[in-house]
Amino acid sequence: MGGYGDIQMIDENGIRMDGRKAGDLRPIEIETGVIPVADGSARVIWGNNHAVAAIYGPMEAHPRKIQRQDRAVLDVRYNMAPFSTSDRIRPGFNRRSREISKVTAEALESVVLVEMYPRSKIRVEIEILAAEAGTRCVGITAASVALAHAGIPMTDMVVSVASGKINDVVVCDLNKEEDNYGEADLPMGILPNSGELVFLQMDGDLSQEEFQKAWDYNMNAAQGIHEIMVDALKGGES
Amino acid sequence: MAIPLVPQLLRAHLAELAEQNHRMDGRGQWESREIELQTNVLPNAEGSAMVTMGDTIVYAGVKFQIMTPYPDRPNQGGLMCSAEVRPVAGRNWEAGPPSPESIELGRVVDRGIRESGCIDVDGLCIIPGEKAWQVILDLFAVSDDGNLFDAFALAGIAALRTAIVPEVKYEVSDSDRPLPISKTPIMCSYHKVGGRFVYDADGKEELGGDERIHITLGDDDNVHSLQKGLKGIFTANEFAEIMEHAKSRCGELRDLVHGGE
Repeated sequence: MGGYGDIQMIDENGIRMDGRKAGDLRPIEIETGVIPVADGSARVIWGNNHAVAAIYGPMEAHPRKIQRQDRAVLDVRYNMAPFSTSDRIRPGFNRRSREISKVTAEALESVVLVEMYPRSKIRVEIEILAAEAGTRCVGITAASVALAHAGIPMTDMVVSVASGKINDVVVCDLNKEEDNYGEADLPMGILPNSGELVFLQMDGDLSQEEFQKAWDYNMNAAQGIHEIMVDALKGGES
Repeated sequence: MAIPLVPQLLRAHLAELAEQNHRMDGRGQWESREIELQTNVLPNAEGSAMVTMGDTIVYAGVKFQIMTPYPDRPNQGGLMCSAEVRPVAGRNWEAGPPSPESIELGRVVDRGIRESGCIDVDGLCIIPGEKAWQVILDLFAVSDDGNLFDAFALAGIAALRTAIVPEVKYEVSDSDRPLPISKTPIMCSYHKVGGRFVYDADGKEELGGDERIHITLGDDDNVHSLQKGLKGIFTANEFAEIMEHAKSRCGELRDLVHGGE
Protein backbone atom coordinates (compact mmCIF):
# COMPACT_ATOMS: atom_id res chain seq x y z
CA MET A 1 0.00 0.00 0.00
CA GLY A 2 1.42 3.31 -1.05
CA GLY A 3 -0.36 5.34 1.58
CA TYR A 4 -0.03 8.73 -0.12
CA GLY A 5 -3.02 9.91 1.88
CA ASP A 6 -3.11 13.37 0.36
CA ILE A 7 -4.46 12.14 -2.98
CA GLN A 8 -8.24 12.54 -2.94
CA MET A 9 -9.80 9.43 -4.47
CA ILE A 10 -13.37 9.67 -3.18
CA ASP A 11 -15.48 12.82 -2.92
CA GLU A 12 -17.77 14.04 -0.13
CA ASN A 13 -20.75 12.31 -1.80
CA GLY A 14 -18.95 8.99 -1.70
CA ILE A 15 -18.29 8.93 -5.46
CA ARG A 16 -14.96 7.43 -6.56
CA MET A 17 -12.70 8.72 -9.35
CA ASP A 18 -14.20 6.31 -11.89
CA GLY A 19 -17.76 7.22 -10.86
CA ARG A 20 -18.45 4.17 -8.71
CA LYS A 21 -19.99 4.17 -5.26
CA ALA A 22 -18.12 2.47 -2.40
CA GLY A 23 -19.70 -0.96 -2.85
CA ASP A 24 -19.67 -1.07 -6.68
CA LEU A 25 -17.63 -3.45 -8.81
CA ARG A 26 -15.91 -2.54 -12.06
CA PRO A 27 -17.64 -3.95 -15.18
CA ILE A 28 -16.94 -7.68 -15.61
CA GLU A 29 -17.22 -9.71 -18.83
CA ILE A 30 -16.50 -13.43 -18.99
CA GLU A 31 -16.28 -15.65 -22.06
CA THR A 32 -15.48 -19.36 -22.25
CA GLY A 33 -13.80 -21.37 -24.99
CA VAL A 34 -11.40 -18.58 -25.97
CA ILE A 35 -8.38 -20.91 -26.31
CA PRO A 36 -9.50 -23.56 -28.81
CA VAL A 37 -6.55 -25.92 -28.30
CA ALA A 38 -7.08 -26.17 -24.51
CA ASP A 39 -9.36 -28.63 -22.68
CA GLY A 40 -11.11 -25.69 -21.07
CA SER A 41 -10.57 -21.94 -21.14
CA ALA A 42 -11.96 -18.58 -20.12
CA ARG A 43 -11.26 -14.91 -20.63
CA VAL A 44 -12.16 -12.39 -17.94
CA ILE A 45 -12.19 -8.68 -18.69
CA TRP A 46 -12.64 -6.92 -15.36
CA GLY A 47 -12.23 -3.16 -15.57
CA ASN A 48 -8.98 -2.80 -17.49
CA ASN A 49 -7.73 -6.24 -16.46
CA HIS A 50 -7.60 -8.81 -19.26
CA ALA A 51 -6.87 -12.37 -18.15
CA VAL A 52 -7.07 -15.70 -19.94
CA ALA A 53 -6.93 -19.11 -18.29
CA ALA A 54 -6.39 -22.47 -19.99
CA ILE A 55 -6.79 -25.95 -18.55
CA TYR A 56 -4.84 -28.98 -19.84
CA GLY A 57 -5.55 -32.39 -18.39
CA PRO A 58 -6.04 -34.35 -16.27
CA MET A 59 -2.83 -35.87 -17.69
CA GLU A 60 0.05 -38.01 -16.47
CA ALA A 61 1.94 -36.13 -13.79
CA HIS A 62 5.58 -35.56 -14.61
CA PRO A 63 8.19 -35.04 -13.37
CA ARG A 64 7.43 -38.17 -11.33
CA LYS A 65 8.33 -36.57 -8.03
CA ILE A 66 5.23 -34.34 -8.13
CA GLN A 67 2.90 -37.37 -8.40
CA ARG A 68 0.60 -38.15 -5.48
CA GLN A 69 -0.70 -41.69 -5.11
CA ASP A 70 -4.12 -40.63 -3.82
CA ARG A 71 -4.95 -37.49 -5.79
CA ALA A 72 -4.26 -35.18 -8.70
CA VAL A 73 -1.95 -32.20 -8.31
CA LEU A 74 -2.77 -28.80 -9.74
CA ASP A 75 0.13 -27.32 -11.70
CA VAL A 76 -0.77 -23.64 -11.62
CA ARG A 77 1.14 -20.89 -13.34
CA TYR A 78 0.16 -17.24 -12.94
CA ASN A 79 2.10 -14.98 -15.28
CA MET A 80 1.98 -11.39 -16.47
CA ALA A 81 2.65 -10.77 -20.17
CA PRO A 82 5.51 -8.33 -20.84
CA PHE A 83 3.12 -5.70 -22.24
CA SER A 84 0.53 -6.07 -19.47
CA THR A 85 1.67 -3.15 -17.33
CA SER A 86 2.70 0.47 -17.69
CA ASP A 87 6.41 -0.44 -17.59
CA ARG A 88 7.39 -3.55 -19.53
CA ILE A 89 7.92 -6.70 -17.46
CA ARG A 90 10.92 -8.86 -18.30
CA PRO A 91 9.68 -12.33 -19.19
CA GLY A 92 10.20 -15.11 -16.67
CA PHE A 93 9.12 -16.10 -13.20
CA ASN A 94 9.62 -13.75 -10.31
CA ARG A 95 8.92 -14.00 -6.58
CA ARG A 96 5.54 -12.31 -6.87
CA SER A 97 4.21 -14.57 -9.62
CA ARG A 98 5.51 -17.65 -7.80
CA GLU A 99 3.67 -16.72 -4.63
CA ILE A 100 0.45 -15.95 -6.49
CA SER A 101 0.73 -19.26 -8.39
CA LYS A 102 1.14 -21.08 -5.09
CA VAL A 103 -1.83 -19.53 -3.27
CA THR A 104 -3.97 -19.89 -6.39
CA ALA A 105 -3.14 -23.60 -6.62
CA GLU A 106 -3.98 -24.08 -2.96
CA ALA A 107 -7.30 -22.26 -3.36
CA LEU A 108 -8.31 -24.32 -6.39
CA GLU A 109 -7.12 -27.62 -4.89
CA SER A 110 -9.61 -26.97 -2.10
CA VAL A 111 -12.57 -27.27 -4.50
CA VAL A 112 -11.39 -29.60 -7.28
CA LEU A 113 -12.25 -33.26 -6.54
CA VAL A 114 -8.58 -34.20 -6.85
CA GLU A 115 -9.16 -37.68 -5.36
CA MET A 116 -10.85 -38.68 -8.60
CA TYR A 117 -7.58 -38.50 -10.55
CA PRO A 118 -4.78 -40.17 -8.56
CA ARG A 119 -1.22 -39.80 -9.92
CA SER A 120 -2.30 -37.21 -12.49
CA LYS A 121 -1.89 -33.50 -12.88
CA ILE A 122 -4.16 -30.76 -14.10
CA ARG A 123 -2.38 -27.81 -15.66
CA VAL A 124 -3.90 -24.41 -14.94
CA GLU A 125 -2.32 -21.61 -16.99
CA ILE A 126 -3.26 -18.05 -16.05
CA GLU A 127 -1.98 -15.25 -18.26
CA ILE A 128 -2.54 -11.59 -17.45
CA LEU A 129 -2.55 -9.73 -20.76
CA ALA A 130 -3.43 -6.36 -19.25
CA ALA A 131 -3.22 -5.47 -15.58
CA GLU A 132 -5.07 -2.75 -13.73
CA ALA A 133 -5.38 -3.88 -10.11
CA GLY A 134 -6.54 -7.08 -8.50
CA THR A 135 -5.01 -9.40 -11.10
CA ARG A 136 -4.74 -12.32 -8.65
CA CYS A 137 -8.50 -12.16 -8.06
CA VAL A 138 -9.17 -11.94 -11.80
CA GLY A 139 -6.81 -14.87 -12.36
CA ILE A 140 -8.44 -17.12 -9.76
CA THR A 141 -11.90 -16.28 -11.08
CA ALA A 142 -10.80 -16.99 -14.68
CA ALA A 143 -9.19 -20.29 -13.63
CA SER A 144 -12.38 -21.38 -11.84
CA VAL A 145 -14.49 -20.77 -14.93
CA ALA A 146 -11.92 -22.52 -17.13
CA LEU A 147 -11.88 -25.57 -14.82
CA ALA A 148 -15.66 -25.77 -15.00
CA HIS A 149 -15.50 -25.31 -18.77
CA ALA A 150 -13.03 -28.20 -18.95
CA GLY A 151 -15.51 -30.39 -17.08
CA ILE A 152 -13.25 -30.88 -14.07
CA PRO A 153 -15.45 -31.91 -11.11
CA MET A 154 -15.51 -29.33 -8.32
CA THR A 155 -17.53 -28.79 -5.16
CA ASP A 156 -17.95 -25.13 -6.12
CA MET A 157 -16.29 -22.42 -8.18
CA VAL A 158 -13.98 -19.99 -6.40
CA VAL A 159 -15.03 -16.36 -6.75
CA SER A 160 -12.23 -13.99 -5.92
CA VAL A 161 -12.61 -10.31 -5.19
CA ALA A 162 -10.82 -7.68 -3.12
CA SER A 163 -11.95 -4.73 -1.05
CA GLY A 164 -9.80 -2.09 0.55
CA LYS A 165 -9.55 1.38 1.98
CA ILE A 166 -8.99 4.73 0.28
CA ASN A 167 -8.93 8.06 2.10
CA ASP A 168 -10.19 6.24 5.23
CA VAL A 169 -13.25 4.93 3.37
CA VAL A 170 -13.73 1.19 2.83
CA VAL A 171 -14.51 0.43 -0.82
CA CYS A 172 -15.01 -2.66 -2.96
CA ASP A 173 -12.82 -3.72 -5.92
CA LEU A 174 -9.93 -1.24 -5.99
CA ASN A 175 -8.88 0.21 -9.34
CA LYS A 176 -5.30 1.12 -10.25
CA GLU A 177 -5.01 4.46 -8.46
CA GLU A 178 -6.90 3.18 -5.44
CA ASP A 179 -4.60 0.16 -5.26
CA ASN A 180 -1.45 2.29 -5.65
CA TYR A 181 -2.37 5.01 -3.18
CA GLY A 182 -4.91 3.27 -0.95
CA GLU A 183 -4.36 2.22 2.63
CA ALA A 184 -5.42 -1.43 2.61
CA ASP A 185 -6.27 -4.35 0.33
CA LEU A 186 -8.16 -7.51 1.32
CA PRO A 187 -8.43 -10.12 -1.45
CA MET A 188 -10.56 -13.18 -0.70
CA GLY A 189 -11.52 -16.40 -2.47
CA ILE A 190 -15.12 -17.26 -1.69
CA LEU A 191 -17.27 -20.32 -2.39
CA PRO A 192 -20.54 -18.64 -3.30
CA ASN A 193 -22.81 -21.58 -2.45
CA SER A 194 -21.58 -22.04 1.10
CA GLY A 195 -19.95 -18.72 1.96
CA GLU A 196 -16.75 -20.59 2.85
CA LEU A 197 -13.27 -19.28 2.01
CA VAL A 198 -10.32 -20.91 0.27
CA PHE A 199 -8.09 -17.88 -0.28
CA LEU A 200 -7.30 -14.93 1.95
CA GLN A 201 -4.61 -12.29 1.93
CA MET A 202 -4.42 -8.77 3.28
CA ASP A 203 -1.99 -5.93 3.56
CA GLY A 204 -2.33 -2.43 4.88
CA ASP A 205 -4.12 -1.00 7.87
CA LEU A 206 -7.76 -1.68 8.80
CA SER A 207 -9.60 -1.24 12.10
CA GLN A 208 -11.75 -4.15 13.25
CA GLU A 209 -14.85 -2.31 11.97
CA GLU A 210 -13.26 -1.45 8.63
CA PHE A 211 -12.09 -5.03 8.25
CA GLN A 212 -15.63 -6.32 8.82
CA LYS A 213 -17.00 -3.88 6.27
CA ALA A 214 -14.45 -4.93 3.63
CA TRP A 215 -15.22 -8.58 4.38
CA ASP A 216 -18.96 -7.97 3.90
CA TYR A 217 -18.37 -6.09 0.64
CA ASN A 218 -16.44 -9.09 -0.70
CA MET A 219 -19.09 -11.57 0.42
CA ASN A 220 -21.84 -9.56 -1.30
CA ALA A 221 -19.82 -8.94 -4.46
CA ALA A 222 -19.06 -12.66 -4.78
CA GLN A 223 -22.73 -13.46 -5.37
CA GLY A 224 -22.99 -11.04 -8.28
CA ILE A 225 -19.73 -12.22 -9.84
CA HIS A 226 -20.83 -15.84 -9.47
CA GLU A 227 -23.90 -15.11 -11.59
CA ILE A 228 -21.71 -13.70 -14.37
CA MET A 229 -19.50 -16.81 -14.19
CA VAL A 230 -22.49 -19.15 -14.43
CA ASP A 231 -23.97 -17.16 -17.32
CA ALA A 232 -20.67 -17.41 -19.20
CA LEU A 233 -20.64 -21.19 -18.77
CA LYS A 234 -24.24 -21.50 -19.91
CA GLY A 235 -23.85 -19.24 -22.92
CA GLY A 236 -20.28 -19.96 -23.96
CA GLU A 237 -19.21 -22.25 -26.78
CA SER A 238 -18.59 -25.77 -25.63
CA MET B 1 8.58 -27.77 -27.10
CA ALA B 2 8.12 -31.41 -26.25
CA ILE B 3 7.44 -33.32 -29.45
CA PRO B 4 4.96 -36.16 -28.96
CA LEU B 5 5.85 -39.62 -30.26
CA VAL B 6 6.29 -39.37 -34.02
CA PRO B 7 2.84 -39.96 -35.43
CA GLN B 8 3.61 -42.37 -38.26
CA LEU B 9 -0.07 -42.91 -38.96
CA LEU B 10 -0.59 -39.17 -39.29
CA ARG B 11 2.34 -38.91 -41.71
CA ALA B 12 0.95 -41.74 -43.83
CA HIS B 13 -2.49 -40.15 -43.85
CA LEU B 14 -1.10 -36.74 -44.86
CA ALA B 15 0.90 -38.35 -47.69
CA GLU B 16 -2.23 -40.08 -48.95
CA LEU B 17 -4.20 -36.84 -48.89
CA ALA B 18 -1.41 -34.96 -50.67
CA GLU B 19 -1.45 -37.48 -53.50
CA GLN B 20 -5.11 -36.66 -54.09
CA ASN B 21 -4.34 -32.93 -53.76
CA HIS B 22 -6.36 -32.74 -50.53
CA ARG B 23 -5.72 -31.35 -47.07
CA MET B 24 -7.10 -32.58 -43.77
CA ASP B 25 -9.40 -29.62 -43.23
CA GLY B 26 -10.49 -29.46 -46.87
CA ARG B 27 -8.33 -26.48 -47.88
CA GLY B 28 -6.49 -26.16 -51.17
CA GLN B 29 -2.68 -26.34 -51.26
CA TRP B 30 -2.23 -22.55 -51.22
CA GLU B 31 -5.33 -21.67 -49.24
CA SER B 32 -5.09 -20.06 -45.79
CA ARG B 33 -7.36 -20.47 -42.84
CA GLU B 34 -9.71 -17.67 -41.93
CA ILE B 35 -7.75 -14.70 -40.58
CA GLU B 36 -8.95 -12.07 -38.17
CA LEU B 37 -6.88 -9.04 -37.20
CA GLN B 38 -7.78 -6.62 -34.43
CA THR B 39 -5.65 -3.69 -33.31
CA ASN B 40 -5.58 -1.70 -30.05
CA VAL B 41 -6.80 -4.64 -28.01
CA LEU B 42 -4.56 -4.23 -24.93
CA PRO B 43 -5.04 -1.13 -22.78
CA ASN B 44 -1.52 -1.05 -21.26
CA ALA B 45 0.50 -1.53 -24.45
CA GLU B 46 1.50 1.47 -26.58
CA GLY B 47 0.43 -0.52 -29.63
CA SER B 48 -1.22 -3.92 -29.83
CA ALA B 49 -2.83 -6.46 -32.11
CA MET B 50 -4.51 -9.82 -31.89
CA VAL B 51 -4.43 -12.26 -34.80
CA THR B 52 -6.63 -15.34 -35.12
CA MET B 53 -5.79 -17.86 -37.85
CA GLY B 54 -8.12 -20.83 -37.43
CA ASP B 55 -7.44 -22.07 -33.90
CA THR B 56 -4.11 -20.20 -33.64
CA ILE B 57 -4.38 -17.03 -31.55
CA VAL B 58 -1.55 -14.60 -30.82
CA TYR B 59 -1.10 -11.14 -29.37
CA ALA B 60 1.56 -8.54 -30.08
CA GLY B 61 2.28 -5.67 -27.72
CA VAL B 62 4.60 -2.69 -28.17
CA LYS B 63 6.33 -0.99 -25.24
CA PHE B 64 9.01 1.72 -25.23
CA GLN B 65 12.13 2.31 -23.16
CA ILE B 66 14.79 4.99 -23.19
CA MET B 67 18.15 3.57 -24.33
CA THR B 68 21.65 4.88 -24.86
CA PRO B 69 22.34 4.77 -28.61
CA TYR B 70 25.05 2.38 -29.81
CA PRO B 71 28.40 4.19 -30.17
CA ASP B 72 28.54 3.49 -33.93
CA ARG B 73 24.98 4.74 -34.45
CA PRO B 74 24.62 7.72 -32.12
CA ASN B 75 21.59 9.11 -33.98
CA GLN B 76 19.46 6.00 -33.96
CA GLY B 77 17.02 4.25 -31.69
CA GLY B 78 16.52 0.52 -31.75
CA LEU B 79 14.09 -2.34 -32.07
CA MET B 80 13.94 -5.39 -29.84
CA CYS B 81 11.61 -8.21 -30.77
CA SER B 82 10.99 -11.27 -28.67
CA ALA B 83 8.52 -14.13 -28.91
CA GLU B 84 7.17 -16.12 -26.01
CA VAL B 85 5.20 -19.32 -26.33
CA ARG B 86 4.13 -20.12 -22.81
CA PRO B 87 2.45 -23.36 -21.75
CA VAL B 88 -0.94 -21.67 -21.98
CA ALA B 89 -0.71 -22.05 -25.77
CA GLY B 90 -0.79 -25.83 -25.96
CA ARG B 91 -0.14 -29.08 -24.17
CA ASN B 92 3.28 -29.56 -25.78
CA TRP B 93 4.71 -26.19 -24.75
CA GLU B 94 6.55 -26.31 -21.43
CA ALA B 95 7.38 -23.78 -18.75
CA GLY B 96 10.94 -22.64 -18.30
CA PRO B 97 13.54 -20.60 -20.13
CA PRO B 98 12.77 -19.74 -23.77
CA SER B 99 12.93 -22.84 -25.98
CA PRO B 100 15.01 -22.86 -29.19
CA GLU B 101 11.71 -22.89 -31.10
CA SER B 102 10.42 -19.69 -29.52
CA ILE B 103 13.82 -18.00 -29.93
CA GLU B 104 13.80 -18.86 -33.64
CA LEU B 105 10.25 -17.49 -33.93
CA GLY B 106 11.24 -14.17 -32.39
CA ARG B 107 14.43 -13.82 -34.41
CA VAL B 108 12.89 -14.61 -37.79
CA VAL B 109 10.05 -12.13 -37.24
CA ASP B 110 12.58 -9.58 -35.96
CA ARG B 111 14.74 -9.86 -39.09
CA GLY B 112 11.80 -9.37 -41.44
CA ILE B 113 10.74 -6.18 -39.68
CA ARG B 114 14.24 -4.84 -39.07
CA GLU B 115 15.65 -5.45 -42.54
CA SER B 116 12.63 -4.00 -44.31
CA GLY B 117 13.68 -0.66 -42.82
CA CYS B 118 10.05 0.03 -41.99
CA ILE B 119 10.89 1.79 -38.73
CA ASP B 120 12.61 5.17 -39.13
CA VAL B 121 15.30 4.58 -36.51
CA ASP B 122 16.67 8.13 -36.97
CA GLY B 123 13.25 9.38 -35.92
CA LEU B 124 13.69 7.59 -32.59
CA CYS B 125 16.70 9.66 -31.52
CA ILE B 126 16.05 12.02 -28.60
CA ILE B 127 19.53 13.40 -27.80
CA PRO B 128 22.27 12.20 -30.20
CA GLY B 129 24.71 9.89 -28.46
CA GLU B 130 22.78 10.06 -25.20
CA LYS B 131 19.14 9.13 -25.44
CA ALA B 132 16.97 7.34 -27.94
CA TRP B 133 13.78 5.31 -27.96
CA GLN B 134 13.99 1.56 -27.88
CA VAL B 135 10.92 -0.08 -29.38
CA ILE B 136 10.13 -3.40 -27.75
CA LEU B 137 7.84 -5.74 -29.63
CA ASP B 138 6.63 -8.69 -27.55
CA LEU B 139 4.91 -11.53 -29.38
CA PHE B 140 2.76 -13.71 -27.17
CA ALA B 141 0.90 -16.87 -28.22
CA VAL B 142 -2.21 -17.99 -26.35
CA SER B 143 -3.33 -20.82 -28.65
CA ASP B 144 -0.99 -22.75 -30.97
CA ASP B 145 -2.61 -24.67 -33.80
CA GLY B 146 0.27 -24.18 -36.21
CA ASN B 147 1.96 -21.40 -38.20
CA LEU B 148 2.83 -19.16 -35.27
CA PHE B 149 5.42 -17.52 -37.56
CA ASP B 150 2.87 -15.84 -39.84
CA ALA B 151 0.53 -15.03 -36.97
CA PHE B 152 3.35 -13.37 -35.00
CA ALA B 153 4.65 -11.44 -38.02
CA LEU B 154 1.19 -10.14 -38.89
CA ALA B 155 0.30 -9.19 -35.30
CA GLY B 156 3.77 -7.65 -34.89
CA ILE B 157 3.63 -5.30 -37.86
CA ALA B 158 0.01 -4.36 -37.14
CA ALA B 159 0.90 -3.51 -33.51
CA LEU B 160 3.93 -1.45 -34.58
CA ARG B 161 1.92 0.45 -37.18
CA THR B 162 -0.59 1.54 -34.53
CA ALA B 163 1.95 2.24 -31.77
CA ILE B 164 2.16 5.61 -30.03
CA VAL B 165 5.49 6.86 -28.64
CA PRO B 166 4.77 7.80 -24.97
CA GLU B 167 6.67 11.10 -25.01
CA VAL B 168 4.58 12.67 -22.25
CA LYS B 169 4.98 9.82 -19.77
CA TYR B 170 8.77 9.82 -20.20
CA GLU B 171 8.90 13.65 -20.19
CA VAL B 172 10.54 13.79 -23.61
CA SER B 173 8.07 16.30 -25.04
CA ASP B 174 4.58 17.53 -24.27
CA SER B 175 2.74 15.43 -26.82
CA ASP B 176 2.75 11.77 -27.83
CA ARG B 177 3.30 10.87 -31.48
CA PRO B 178 2.81 7.84 -33.70
CA LEU B 179 5.82 5.57 -34.13
CA PRO B 180 7.60 6.63 -37.36
CA ILE B 181 6.94 3.63 -39.58
CA SER B 182 6.46 3.65 -43.32
CA LYS B 183 6.38 0.11 -44.71
CA THR B 184 4.54 -3.14 -44.11
CA PRO B 185 6.73 -6.24 -44.34
CA ILE B 186 4.67 -9.45 -44.50
CA MET B 187 5.71 -13.04 -43.84
CA CYS B 188 4.38 -16.12 -45.60
CA SER B 189 5.26 -19.62 -44.37
CA TYR B 190 5.18 -22.93 -46.20
CA HIS B 191 5.45 -26.45 -44.82
CA LYS B 192 6.37 -29.64 -46.62
CA VAL B 193 3.44 -31.93 -45.85
CA GLY B 194 3.04 -35.31 -47.49
CA GLY B 195 5.84 -34.51 -49.94
CA ARG B 196 4.61 -31.14 -51.19
CA PHE B 197 4.63 -27.60 -49.85
CA VAL B 198 1.42 -26.12 -48.47
CA TYR B 199 0.66 -22.62 -47.24
CA ASP B 200 -0.40 -21.89 -43.63
CA ALA B 201 -0.01 -25.35 -42.09
CA ASP B 202 -2.12 -26.12 -39.04
CA GLY B 203 -0.92 -27.94 -35.92
CA LYS B 204 -1.48 -31.44 -37.30
CA GLU B 205 0.27 -30.64 -40.58
CA GLU B 206 3.25 -29.26 -38.64
CA LEU B 207 3.35 -32.39 -36.49
CA GLY B 208 3.24 -34.75 -39.46
CA GLY B 209 5.25 -32.57 -41.85
CA ASP B 210 8.89 -31.94 -42.70
CA GLU B 211 10.81 -28.77 -43.42
CA ARG B 212 9.33 -25.29 -43.49
CA ILE B 213 10.27 -22.12 -45.35
CA HIS B 214 9.51 -18.57 -44.24
CA ILE B 215 9.62 -15.61 -46.64
CA THR B 216 9.23 -11.96 -45.67
CA LEU B 217 8.49 -9.54 -48.51
CA GLY B 218 8.39 -5.75 -48.36
CA ASP B 219 6.03 -3.28 -50.04
CA ASP B 220 7.81 -3.59 -53.39
CA ASP B 221 8.12 -7.39 -53.16
CA ASN B 222 11.75 -7.03 -52.08
CA VAL B 223 12.92 -10.00 -50.04
CA HIS B 224 13.79 -9.08 -46.46
CA SER B 225 14.15 -12.38 -44.64
CA LEU B 226 14.27 -16.06 -45.44
CA GLN B 227 14.48 -19.02 -43.13
CA LYS B 228 14.49 -22.72 -43.75
CA GLY B 229 13.62 -24.71 -40.64
CA LEU B 230 13.61 -28.38 -39.68
CA LYS B 231 15.05 -31.40 -41.45
CA GLY B 232 14.30 -31.75 -45.16
CA ILE B 233 15.39 -31.14 -48.73
CA PHE B 234 13.76 -28.81 -51.23
CA THR B 235 14.40 -28.02 -54.90
CA ALA B 236 14.89 -24.70 -56.68
CA ASN B 237 11.64 -25.29 -58.55
CA GLU B 238 9.73 -25.81 -55.33
CA PHE B 239 11.16 -22.58 -53.99
CA ALA B 240 10.24 -20.65 -57.13
CA GLU B 241 6.66 -21.85 -56.81
CA ILE B 242 6.49 -20.76 -53.18
CA MET B 243 7.94 -17.36 -54.00
CA GLU B 244 5.33 -16.85 -56.71
CA HIS B 245 2.56 -17.54 -54.20
CA ALA B 246 4.17 -15.36 -51.54
CA LYS B 247 4.22 -12.38 -53.91
CA SER B 248 0.45 -12.41 -54.35
CA ARG B 249 -0.40 -13.44 -50.78
CA CYS B 250 1.79 -10.78 -49.13
CA GLY B 251 -0.14 -8.12 -51.06
CA GLU B 252 -3.46 -9.41 -49.75
CA LEU B 253 -2.23 -9.50 -46.15
CA ARG B 254 -0.73 -6.01 -46.50
CA ASP B 255 -4.18 -4.76 -47.53
CA LEU B 256 -5.61 -6.46 -44.44
CA VAL B 257 -3.13 -4.62 -42.19
CA HIS B 258 -3.76 -1.28 -43.89
CA GLY B 259 -7.52 -1.82 -43.78
CA GLY B 260 -7.42 -2.15 -39.98
CA GLU B 261 -5.75 1.23 -39.46
